[in-house]
Amino acid sequence: MGYEEPVTDYDKIVENCTCAFCGSNCDDLDCLVKDNHVVAVRHACRLGASKIMEDEDQRLKVPMMRNENGELVEVEWETALDAAAELIANSVRPLFYGWSETSIEAMKPGLELTELVGAVIDNQATICHGPTVQAVQNVGYPLMTLGEVKNRADMVVYTGSNPMNAHPRHLSRYTTFPKGWFRKRGRYDRTLVTWDPKYSDTAKLSDIWIPFEENGDYEFVNAIRAVLKGKKLKKDVIAGIPTEDIYELTEKMKNTQFGALFFGLGLTHTLSKQRNIDIAIQLVQDLNKYTKWVLLPMRGHFNVNGFNIFMSYEMGFPYGVDFCRGYPRYMIGETTTIDLLNRKEADVFLVIAADPGAHFPSGANMHLVDIPVIQIDIHWGPTTELADIVLPGTFIGVETAGTSYRMDSVPLNMKKAIDPPETCREDEWIVTELLNRVKKIKEASK
Amino acid sequence: MTYIDKPSISNVIKFDELNVAKVDQLKVMLNTGTDIYQGACKKRGSTLKDEYRKVAGVAYMDPKDMAKLGVGNWDSVLVKSDWGAVVVYSAHSRDAPHEGMIFIPKGPWANVIVSNETYCCSDPTYKGIEATVEKSDKEVLLMADLMKEVYQKYTKKVKEVD
Ligand code: SF4
Repeated sequence: MGYEEPVTDYDKIVENCTCAFCGSNCDDLDCLVKDNHVVAVRHACRLGASKIMEDEDQRLKVPMMRNENGELVEVEWETALDAAAELIANSVRPLFYGWSETSIEAMKPGLELTELVGAVIDNQATICHGPTVQAVQNVGYPLMTLGEVKNRADMVVYTGSNPMNAHPRHLSRYTTFPKGWFRKRGRYDRTLVTWDPKYSDTAKLSDIWIPFEENGDYEFVNAIRAVLKGKKLKKDVIAGIPTEDIYELTEKMKNTQFGALFFGLGLTHTLSKQRNIDIAIQLVQDLNKYTKWVLLPMRGHFNVNGFNIFMSYEMGFPYGVDFCRGYPRYMIGETTTIDLLNRKEADVFLVIAADPGAHFPSGANMHLVDIPVIQIDIHWGPTTELADIVLPGTFIGVETAGTSYRMDSVPLNMKKAIDPPETCREDEWIVTELLNRVKKIKEASK
Repeated sequence: MTYIDKPSISNVIKFDELNVAKVDQLKVMLNTGTDIYQGACKKRGSTLKDEYRKVAGVAYMDPKDMAKLGVGNWDSVLVKSDWGAVVVYSAHSRDAPHEGMIFIPKGPWANVIVSNETYCCSDPTYKGIEATVEKSDKEVLLMADLMKEVYQKYTKKVKEVD
């Protein structure tokens, strides 16, 4: 990595833009704009910068459909929208997946469309923090905002998550490094702890690293809970950690003033799934007998939490909501995307602002080979290789304004910095168009 | 642009490391997940290019494990699990030591070998999968070629036509 000269050639600075990448939703980015292009961005991390300084070669700019040779060719907006609406209107078990990288505004017509055709609506939580949501329904949600952590926390624990890779500014902006009201010296006033089998980039920065063994998370957290309840541990080594270390860590956790536990997909993707989170939440409850502890899931996409909040507010269920009976139903393992695909149930797949091609196991994706796939996105990605109709959207937070929810459920307005390419349309517009067209088809067939 | 450079990896252990026993096939635990290079490249949108293959089509391995197999950085290895097999690059892990564990960043390559079993929890099992690694002389496929080979969504139809 070489040194790069700062960019000085720009027309204007758009200040305080919100980053549309990870769940930290940093809202202090400055975009340097020249000729309706972002030429540089200040304050963003490597991830945020890479998304804003996008690769224009692979930008989806025009609507496309497959021709008889199976190649994607450019078509008119009218043709593509009509074809998509036709597919949706005539399907029996449509599945609308994605939504985490678009604004709340686009979800509204999406939900209306879902209700109209009796579809299933689901978002990325289904493959990331779905188990977390279940655990929260099981045992509760001792939540805080990131501002509280910044001002108060003197112990920060990350487990099953590697924020230095997935949420790079999380430590520097919210939890570990910043100076806070009660933590005047910033990093020096806090203890950073990582529980992770790997010596991850976050572990390298930490004061304490607990390398429990693979799939040992459930056992390890249970051991801490036992110690907290005054029990004696009978084994010398638990989940790869010597018992003395567990006693010592528990003592430290009891003697903090304000502790914050952040957990990621390391817990939800291993075999014990939501039970891991159950136990983590219960650990925080137990710790609260001694001192103040809170926890927060490290949400991945910038609006994955937004979808869950939006759906809970509108329909009472966070994700995987099925309208096939005319009223909302939610049953994990039944109305959730991967399960629907595994069982080969869906017959039309609409994917908006998501990339199942890159993120679903191919065992689940195999079903997408047999059914029509409609994609609304901004870049040509792995899913485009499986898509039959491609509708180019716009970039929320850079080209279109919108609302998103940060991982701690704080809603933020995302600004617009430049105009979108002329041939692209906003997600909200595309979904509304689909809705209107489907309505027309349904009415005509009555 | 510097933020999407392929990961810089140092050569920690040489192939001819004296005190490791060579094996043809290594039993490992496979983990997948995000890493900063994969994230940056994916969201930037450069998925059709070589850079995506370099950041997501790669298995980060413990240098000792690599010495056992006799592979170096950016050699091809075949990773097999109960769900499939895929050829990826091998590279020294930045988080080593973690003998017996490999990490493949999430992406179309990892998808081929992870489990789609959700155990009725909506969430597939992306981590902690038993797999084997062996040396391969095949080239790692670019994203589009891989998607064509694995899913054959449109190639099948073309064949039916002629
Ligand atoms: S930490 Fe996340 S939200 Fe903040 S700049 Fe980086 S990618 Fe964007």
